[in-house]
Amino acid sequence: MITHELIERIEGEAVLDFKTAKSGVVEHADIRFLHFRGMESILEGRNALDALVIAPRVCGICGHSHLIAAVRMIENAYIDAGFSLTITPKAQAIREITLNCELIQNHLKWLYLVMLHESGKLLAEEPPVALKALYVTSQVNQLCALFSGQWPHSSYALPGGVTCDPTHIEVMQALKLLSEVEQFVAKEVLGCPLEKFELHLKSDSHRVLEGDFSTLLNHFERLNLLDAGKTHGRFLVLGSQSAILSNGEIRNADADLVSEDSSQTFAQGGNTYAKNALYNGDFYESGPLARALIGEREGITALYQQYSDSAQTRLCARMDETVKLISDVRYLLKNLDLSQPSFVTPTAIEYISGTGIGIIEAPRGSLIHRARIEKGKIVSYSIITPTQWNLGSGSPTNLGVAQRAMIGVESIAKASLIFRTFDVCSVCTTH
Amino acid sequence: MPSNPAKLRVIWLQGITCNGNTHSFLNDPSLGSLLESVEFIHHPLLPCTKSLSELVKKLPKSDLLIFEGSYRADFERAGVPMENILLPLAVKAKHIIALGSCASFGGIFKEGDDRITGILFDKEEMGGPLRDLSKKVIVLSGCPIHPKWLSFVMEMIIQGIKIGVDEYHRPKELYSYLVHNGCLRNEYFEWKVDSERFGTKEGCLFYAQGCQGPFTHGSCNKILWNEVSSKTRAGAPCVGCTEPSFPKRELFSTKTYMSIPAEMPLGVPKRSYLALAGAAKSFHIKRLEGKLIDDNA
Repeated sequence: MITHELIERIEGEAVLDFKTAKSGVVEHADIRFLHFRGMESILEGRNALDALVIAPRVCGICGHSHLIAAVRMIENAYIDAGFSLTITPKAQAIREITLNCELIQNHLKWLYLVMLHESGKLLAEEPPVALKALYVTSQVNQLCALFSGQWPHSSYALPGGVTCDPTHIEVMQALKLLSEVEQFVAKEVLGCPLEKFELHLKSDSHRVLEGDFSTLLNHFERLNLLDAGKTHGRFLVLGSQSAILSNGEIRNADADLVSEDSSQTFAQGGNTYAKNALYNGDFYESGPLARALIGEREGITALYQQYSDSAQTRLCARMDETVKLISDVRYLLKNLDLSQPSFVTPTAIEYISGTGIGIIEAPRGSLIHRARIEKGKIVSYSIITPTQWNLGSGSPTNLGVAQRAMIGVESIAKASLIFRTFDVCSVCTTH
Repeated sequence: MPSNPAKLRVIWLQGITCNGNTHSFLNDPSLGSLLESVEFIHHPLLPCTKSLSELVKKLPKSDLLIFEGSYRADFERAGVPMENILLPLAVKAKHIIALGSCASFGGIFKEGDDRITGILFDKEEMGGPLRDLSKKVIVLSGCPIHPKWLSFVMEMIIQGIKIGVDEYHRPKELYSYLVHNGCLRNEYFEWKVDSERFGTKEGCLFYAQGCQGPFTHGSCNKILWNEVSSKTRAGAPCVGCTEPSFPKRELFSTKTYMSIPAEMPLGVPKRSYLALAGAAKSFHIKRLEGKLIDDNA
């Protein structure tokens, strides 16, 4: 039987076309995204710096990631054109702080607005109150705005550094906000101090904690889904590191092996706007689980050995990453050397002709911006978003990551929940 | 006032969008108290009584229809073209808000597809699909909208306060200010001291870095972003995101004519500007030429 299922309560909407057996078990699922906006062609012909205003508008929840990818792309084009740039450690650190904030707020919204809500619905339980989490995500975004001026849609990073010139007062405010966020995560989300969470994962005692995250795991357990959602076991990180994990082995990655496959798109007679992103011709999983495994985070590595790339491991990876990001932001704030310049003026963009690539780790995985610049103008622009890795739709003989994860799940509703463990973003996928 | 007033019944519908206004709205720290007097019939992320599929089937009446994103007649939500969703919902709504610059004027996505418009305006012209219902449409432009601006207007609707609007149907109490008002660099503007480079606290960004604050309507520096800052406070130029002309080109440099900014501060005749600028520049204010916070002084 074929069923078309509209997936809402994500960024945008997606359609899953399920093929099910008589028992209801999912035999195959195609993933389609139907909204296309043409961001790349909007960028073409413009001054390269305009990308710092236009590119964040690809996505309302991870626009800051697009800003940082775009600025890195332009800086890379400077190098390609033979010009040097100085980005001070302070400017680097501030970019990392604001980018990490975006990941933290994303992960908390995913937990409260999407996962707890949808899994509770399947169990016919009153969804938990998301408002308490939204207050905390507003604090995370406030921390970001102390440096970036605003969130969403800041354009405060330019080739050469950042535009802000913070004082100790902003740094102190940021640390205070971070402490409040940390208290919330410890008390409400995890049910244990942040530094203990990884130990709980390692000793497989995380399910007995009392926090909203263990409520989610409990929902999955009752739905018999903790062990579902296994996929190819191939992982990729191209931003913070450049490595792949497959067949149990971590190897260096080469961004030149990344390709896009548009065979299933409307343009080629298919039925989606989303192009698949492939590495060396294969589908790879990107995102928090990939980052934890390739970054050899102890707790997630231990869980992976025991439970493989199941829903449980994937859910835990996003929470483990939230813990890590909070501690990273604290370290960066405490070690910020305010005496360094925020910005070192580079050669004017009009002198730059070259090709640039900017890769960063966005909330959902590796984000790539690539462009050809002629005398400061964008000639061509290409964006590969994280969801193109995870939510690609392949053929039955070459399945995408989330596609494979849904096969064998006992009902459409449950398979849709497994789909959401990948943190779906339709607006990014079909930029 | 009745002790238990009925909640404002709101439909939040998305056209062609990045979801930026949705996420901006979630940043309002007072969201909880606002939502006590609101019931969402539909919202893309918050708890609501109807899913999108149910919404497009029922097309219910509402007290307030909020439309986020730009409009194209054949753009589909849940398999239904927008012209068959927006118009029936709009007719049955008491109030309508065009939320964000896409819904207001067409915005960024119009740059890639000329069929795209706002719901009331198409750039500067009133050429959107709701032009016959213009009286009940309030335009809240901005890319994205400031969460408080939306919350304030929702409160005003709840309390029955009459909302005065400008030529683009934007509430005057929010959009009569310029982004320039309240900017921490105002003194540099007054004395025509430009910013030599990005990443400093000193100098005005209007002369070389492309800041559009002196001719862009919005309370960004009165009602701060995320409670703490704004683009110009973080040293970034205003990109004019609340205006129908957004996005212009060359956003990080100021177009000049005979070394004078080509676009004048709003309402200021060029001759007056030149006279004042000449006078201001003839003085050298030592304090404004040095560091704002000078550790060696």
